Amino acid sequence: MDRNKLVKWLKEPAKMGHKYSLHAVYFCTGCGIIEVPPSITARWDAERFGVIPVATPRQANLFLITGYVSVKTLKAIIRTYEQMPEPKFSVGFGSCPVNGGMYWDSYNTIKHLDKYIPVDGWIAGCMPRPEAIFVAVTHLWTLIDKEMANGYKRYREKYKYYRANQEQLFGKLEWPPLFPVGDKHEELAEKRS
Amino acid sequence: MKNSLKKDLESVFKGIQITVPEKDRMIITAKKEEAQSILRFLKDNGYEHLGLVSCVDWIEEKEFELVYILSAYMQEDNEYTEKEKSNIIVKTRIPRDNPRFHTVIPIFQSSEPYERELHELYGIDFEGHPRQIPLFLERDYTIPPFRKDFDTRKYVEEVFDKIPFIEDKR
Repeated sequence: MDRNKLVKWLKEPAKMGHKYSLHAVYFCTGCGIIEVPPSITARWDAERFGVIPVATPRQANLFLITGYVSVKTLKAIIRTYEQMPEPKFSVGFGSCPVNGGMYWDSYNTIKHLDKYIPVDGWIAGCMPRPEAIFVAVTHLWTLIDKEMANGYKRYREKYKYYRANQEQLFGKLEWPPLFPVGDKHEELAEKRS
Repeated sequence: MKNSLKKDLESVFKGIQITVPEKDRMIITAKKEEAQSILRFLKDNGYEHLGLVSCVDWIEEKEFELVYILSAYMQEDNEYTEKEKSNIIVKTRIPRDNPRFHTVIPIFQSSEPYERELHELYGIDFEGHPRQIPLFLERDYTIPPFRKDFDTRKYVEEVFDKIPFIEDKR
């Protein structure tokens, strides 16, 4: 073990634990998922970085959104994200979740993913190479160290705005709010409708 | 083989146009009343696989063009014959302001999801279809989104761009 990190380990063991055991949801959206099998298997071996895919979102804390997000997929993404235990980190992968990418004028693809769920980091490119995933993971480590990967905290604090945005897109959602939304939320919804 | 089929078709159905643009491909342009019986005729002649039902929006001519692509299954222990390599494309036009057509499910069962898709994306009403419910889309659109007069950029501005960023809420 690196001796310099010893103090960190003793001071904040939980944070260090989160850093080096990222469990990714095996959730496929769009074309980016084609990069994930080579990066988790022998060729690039994501386990060197402590990233391993898991079966269900309830065991995961890393969410890679790997490509364009259609309206129907967004519903599944929100439900998956809300099921993950905290702390959870989400990473937009490829240029489509960033600003729509080549689907910027599509009738059925959402353009900015961070309007609906919080995103901790972006990997730009179309498509990013598997190496870019590892660069992103090491960046995520620094973000976790500096407590800047706080998407799940933002989601809790600003849940009413996220929920309002989701409802503006979908109309009425089939599931109840994850966190209390308060009176202001209803005002916002009325104003928009 | 092709020539005999062409002759058969021309003798049975009057007023159809048959073109052979290249080898192993035949395009039949028919009126909408005849299209069903042509499909039935082709199925009886061994073209049993409906590969695709598609639609083209001819907005200037105010018509939709339905395209059915048929091919034949390979018989067991055979080399590919000329018939099995070939595709037959049946095209028919329906008016754009009242897009109605009879379903071909009684002839080709596999057309069910294709017709549902066309109903959703072009707004074509297939009479006799057992369940014309949405297939892919989640939202309601003012006009079906694959029609040429659907303005996607305007739609994006009206729907997706109107949703505010969370950062703007501070």
